[in-house]
Amino acid sequence: MLLAATYSAPTVFDGIANTVALIVLLLEFGMLRAALLRAQVRLYAGQSLAVSVLAAVVAFGRHVPELYALAALSLLLKVVVVPLLIIGLLREANEEIAGSGTLGVTQEVLISIGVGAFGFFAVGVLGIHSEVLPTAALSLSVAVVLVAFILMIVRRDVVSQAIGFFSLENGVSVASLVVAAGMPLILEVAFLFDLLVAVVVFGVLMRTHHRRSQSLSTENLDRLRG
Amino acid sequence: MSGVPLPVIQGLQVVTVAGGAPGVSGFIAWLEARLQGRRGPRVLQPYLDLAKLFGKETLVPQGAGPLFRVAPVASLACYLTVPMLIPVLTSYALPLGYMGDILGGGLILAFASFLVAAAAAETGDAYAQLASSRAKTFAAITEPVMLLVVFTVAMITTTDLPYVLGATVRSGPAQIVRPAHLLASAALFMVMLFETGRIPVETHTGTTEFGMIESGRSFEYSGPDLALLQWGSAAKQLVLYVILLNVFVAPWGMASTTSLLAVALAIPAILGKALLLGCAIAVLDNTYAKLRLFKITEFVSAALLLAVLAVFTLYLGGG
Repeated sequence: MLLAATYSAPTVFDGIANTVALIVLLLEFGMLRAALLRAQVRLYAGQSLAVSVLAAVVAFGRHVPELYALAALSLLLKVVVVPLLIIGLLREANEEIAGSGTLGVTQEVLISIGVGAFGFFAVGVLGIHSEVLPTAALSLSVAVVLVAFILMIVRRDVVSQAIGFFSLENGVSVASLVVAAGMPLILEVAFLFDLLVAVVVFGVLMRTHHRRSQSLSTENLDRLRG
Repeated sequence: MSGVPLPVIQGLQVVTVAGGAPGVSGFIAWLEARLQGRRGPRVLQPYLDLAKLFGKETLVPQGAGPLFRVAPVASLACYLTVPMLIPVLTSYALPLGYMGDILGGGLILAFASFLVAAAAAETGDAYAQLASSRAKTFAAITEPVMLLVVFTVAMITTTDLPYVLGATVRSGPAQIVRPAHLLASAALFMVMLFETGRIPVETHTGTTEFGMIESGRSFEYSGPDLALLQWGSAAKQLVLYVILLNVFVAPWGMASTTSLLAVALAIPAILGKALLLGCAIAVLDNTYAKLRLFKITEFVSAALLLAVLAVFTLYLGGG
C-alpha cells in the first residue's frame, strides 16, 4: 500500500562521504559564528578532523591505501600541531574575544548561504564526475572555500583571518580528494607543508602586529599613511 | 487473529497522545530536577495538577470577549486532531491519514497557536500580550525553516504524506545516512525546541515574565481553562515528538498489522521513544543557557542554514 521513495537514493558510501563533507561545511559556518578566538581554533581542529575522517573513509571504501597515510599525517598536523601553535600564540597575546565582524551574525550567515549556493550550483553545472567521491562533495568543498573567503573578509582580527585561510586549505583538501584521490602522496604532503609555511607566516604576522598595536584587531591598519 | 477495526486504532492514536502527553512532560521535569541534584516533582504531577485545576472555577477578566473562553477548548481540539494525520501507532496509513499532509498538520498546529495568541490579546494583560506578540514574531521566522523541511521531504519521497517518509527511512541504511535526511531532521529538531519552549529558546518552567514566549500567554487563565491550555501544550509537545520520531528519526516499533497485540505493543513503544527523546531534551536543558531574546534569530538562522543545505544537496543529486 505504501510506496517507498521512488527517487533512487545514493549508496551508503556516497551518503557517508557527503555527510562528512557537509560536516566540514557546517563547521566552517560555525567558525563564522564563533565569538571566542579559542572556540574558533577548536572548530578548526574539528574541521581538520572531519577532513582526515573523509580521507580515511575514501581509503577504506575505495581501497586507496596511501590515503591512510595522508589521513594520519593531516590528523597529526592539522588537528594537533597547528591548533596547539595558534593557542600558544593566543596565550601570549592575552586576547579572548574575536574582533566583531563588520556585519551581524545573522547577516553574515545569510550572505554566506547565498555565496555558498553560488558555489554549489556553479560546480553543479560543470558536470565533473569523479570515480571515488560523489559530485556533491566537490560542490560542498567549493562552498567551504567561498565561506572561508567571507570569514576572512568580514572579520577584523588577525587570528580569524588566519583561521579562515587555514580552513580554506581544508576546503581545497576535500576538493583534491574528489578530483584526484589517487594523486601521488608526495603532492598531497607538499600541500600540508605549504600549510606549515602559512602557519609560520601568520604566526610572525600575529606577533608583529600584536607588538606594534597592542591588539589583534586590524581596524587601526586602515589609518596607516605612507 | 481478528484485527482491531481501523477507526478504533485511529481513536487509540488520539487517546495515546492525550493520555501520555502530561506524563512525558512530567518525566522531563523530573529528570531535569534529578540532573540538577534536586528531588523534583513526581512524574505523575502534571496529571494531579490537571485534576486540581479542573475542580476549580473559571474567572474571566473584565472586557474579554467570547474568544477568551473558546480558545482553550479549540486549541486542545486542534492539537488532538493532528494525531489522526500522523503515524502514531501504525506504520500503514489509517483511513483519515490521507485527510491532510505534513503541511495540513502544520497548518492546524499554527491555527491553534494563533487562537491562543488572539485570546491572550483580548485580556489586556501586558505580559500575556507581550508573550503572544513574541510568539507570533518568532513563529514567522521559523516558518520558512518548516517549509524547507517539507520541501526536503517532498523531494525525497515525491509526496508529502508523513507515512511515506517513514516507510522511506525504514527502507534501508542508504536513506538514513543521506545528508538531506540528516539535515532536515536536525532542522526539525531545532524548530521543535523552539515550538515546545525549551532551552536555548526559553526556560520551560521559568517564572520571569521578561523571558517568556510560549508560557506567558496563559497568564489570565484559571481553573479548567488553564488546565485545557496546559494539557494542550503538553499534547502539542508530544505531537511534535511523534512527528520527529515516527517520521524522521526512528520510525521503528510501530504496528504493521491490525492485530491486537501489535497495536497494544505500539503504545508503550512510542511512549518509550518519547521518553528517550525527553532524556536528550532534559540534558540539553541543563547544558545550555537561555539565549537572549535578540539571539533567538541567530538560533533560527542556524536552523534555516541546515534546511537550506538539505534542499541544495538534493538539487545537486547527491543528497
